[in-house]
This record gives sequence, structure tokens and C-alpha cells, in this order.
Amino acid sequence: MPESKDIQGIIRHVAEIIIGELKLEDVTPDTFNPEMDLVDELGIDSMDLATIALVLQDEYKIVIDEDDYPKLKTVRLIAEYIEEKLAARQ
Amino acid sequence: MKTVSTLLDAEWRERYRRISSLNIRSSIYDLTCRCNLRCKGCFFFSSGEHHVQEEMDIRKWEAFIDGEKARGVNLAILIGGEPTLCMDRLEAFYRRIPTYCATNGLIKVPRDRFPDMMVGISLWGGGEDEKILRGRDTFAVSSKNYEGDPYTYYLYTLTPRQVGKTEPVIRRIADCGLKVHLQLLSNDEGVDGFSWRPEELSDLRFELDEMLDRYPRTVISSKYYHEVITTGMMQGRRFGWRECPSVTESLDTRQPPVRRLIHFYRWGADLQTVHRCCTSATRDCATCKDGAAHMSWIMVNKRDHMTSTKDLQNWIEVYEMFAKLYRLIPW
Repeated sequence: MPESKDIQGIIRHVAEIIIGELKLEDVTPDTFNPEMDLVDELGIDSMDLATIALVLQDEYKIVIDEDDYPKLKTVRLIAEYIEEKLAARQ
Repeated sequence: MKTVSTLLDAEWRERYRRISSLNIRSSIYDLTCRCNLRCKGCFFFSSGEHHVQEEMDIRKWEAFIDGEKARGVNLAILIGGEPTLCMDRLEAFYRRIPTYCATNGLIKVPRDRFPDMMVGISLWGGGEDEKILRGRDTFAVSSKNYEGDPYTYYLYTLTPRQVGKTEPVIRRIADCGLKVHLQLLSNDEGVDGFSWRPEELSDLRFELDEMLDRYPRTVISSKYYHEVITTGMMQGRRFGWRECPSVTESLDTRQPPVRRLIHFYRWGADLQTVHRCCTSATRDCATCKDGAAHMSWIMVNKRDHMTSTKDLQNWIEVYEMFAKLYRLIPW
């Protein structure tokens, strides 16, 4: 599991995963706008999201329900979702 | 980093947003193994996929459809055989899930029972080709049955013999107040004179572009779609098994995973058998010209089209074409 479990650390790690999975250029985890709409702006579709969700599930040892995908519209919302899941587990 | 905002102006962004929220989950269902035609080149009968024990109990169909809805399917595409031979099953789908019925048009779907169900009528070339391949000129019957119907379009399967002859067919469709979408015959049964040569495909591409320009209110299509179906190429990649998105999920063992339609299945009429893909397992994917498969191929590869403004606009036009065919957005 990633070391940093505070919201900023999760945001950075989610951005890192998205950049890596989508092979995004000209952007780093530090410059990635966590409020950017991943569908409307970045063009992510449900298959991209499923791929990213698999990595996140593996890294954070959580379950991401497919029905929740529509809620995961930005990096911040994904990070908050992970934070909630981690808190619920404790 | 390229984003929708950096690639598109306000008008195109609005078009993009209109379709990006659709979240379509389609599957295909063989409604019956029977048909009132026997066409040369029909993948269903030439592949032997009709050899299943058709489920006859309507209650089992209803329970099955409820299960499909629970599985997340929000667009049921009904094929066969001829779906209109089984109106009770057709209605069971229509009452539960947004439904599209692919028919040869010989039997009219009663609009009092199915007021807004999308109907696609198969048309194989002009009258002479239809007689050779299907045994009769079905257009003469189907155009009377569906004249002016706002929820019906022709799915015009083009053959090599149609090159240079599409205009009269499209004009006849326009004259009876219907729309038309275009795809290419794959000639699964190797009928003489119906296999494509490269120069025919090249000529056809420009002919289809011309038809779209001349009949923009009748032809539901896009020039990028014409390019992809006639060349088999998209963004430098060739269509085939390693690329096709329309493979039944439980049979899709491809590694690494291929970009595909989420949770797509094609079910047999016994409600148990699943078929490989949206056409037949006997078809060579390298020569498959299925229009829906090529359209979906483009649609599932959105981010590969976020390379330039023109590429993303092409992608949007194809997605809009798909959405129009199922009236998810207005014609």
C-alpha cells in the first residue's frame, strides 16, 4: 500500500497512476489538476476507469464497485472515495 | 497535455459532452432461429449458429431479460433469424429495455404495440442484388410497410456490384421518407462476384462520401466511418481479432486485454448459448467488414483520437452516428 494515506498523498498517487496508465505526456503528479473532469476533459471512458480502478484496488487493498464509477469524475473525488474506504476498513 | 478543451471549440465541446454522458451497455440477442428468407451470405445460417434449441417459454424469456437488465444492459439489439416472427419476445424486450429490432421488413412491426421501438431494415443492394442474394426484392415490400416511419431506417449492406449504383437506392429511400445507414457485405459464403477488391473499396469510399454530401438528411453516416470500413484501418492499426471490440465478454481470452464493449454478450435463442461476437465465429476477422463492429472499434478508442482536433472531431461524428441510429440523440 502507498505510504501516504492523507488526502494530498492519495491525490498525488492517483494522479501518478492515471498518468502512467494513460501514458499522459506533458504532465506530472504535481501539475495534474485534481479538479479536472476526467471524462469531459481528459476523455477517459469506462474501460480506462476500470483499468485504473483495478490498479487502485490492488494498491490500496480496497474494493471499488463498478456502480460507483460514475461518481469518480475527478482525481480529488477518487482520492476522497479511497479515503472513505480506508476509514471504513479501520 | 491534450484535453477536450485544448482540442475543441465551444460548439464541438458541447457536442462531445452530449454524447460522453450516454454510457451505453449493449448486447445482442438472437430472438429466434427461424427466418422467412434464406439469404446467401447471411452469417447466422452459414455459420450454423442457428442450431440451438430455441426457448419457447415466454416466461423464461421475460426472466432472462430481467436478468439482462439487472446486469446493466441498457440497449438490447435483437437479431435472428427474423425477430418479427416472435412478436411476444419482441414485446418482452421492448417493455423492459430500450430495444432495437433488426428485420428484413417483410412483416410490419405494429406501431400500436411498439410506438417508438427502433427498427433497422436490412437491404442488400439494389433490386437485382437482392434477388440474387435473398431470392426477392424485399425493398418493394419493406418500403410500403414502413414509409415515413420516424423510428425506422434502412441498413444498406453494400456489395461490390453496387459500386457506382448507390444513388438510385438512396434516392428511393429518401423518397419514402426514411433514413439509411451503410455497411459492407462480408460475403461469408463466397458468392461469386461479391468479394471486395481494393480498388472497389477505394471507389466506394468516395461514392459514400458523395452520397452523404448529397443526402445529408437521409444518410446517417460520417466520412471517417467510410474511411475506416473501406480501408479496415484506424489510426495506423488494422481491424482484426486483436482489435475487435464486439466479442462476448465470457469468451474473450485475449491477452493483453483489448479495448472492448463493456459487458457485451451475444446470446443464442436458447438463452444459454453465447456466440463469439456480433457476427459469426466462422467469419475470418481479417476480412470482416461488419459496420457495427467497425463503428464500435472507433468508439472504444476515444483517447487514441485525442491526438488532434480533426481526429477528435472524427471520433465525435462516429459516436453521434451511433447515437442517432438508436435515437439516443435526435436525427
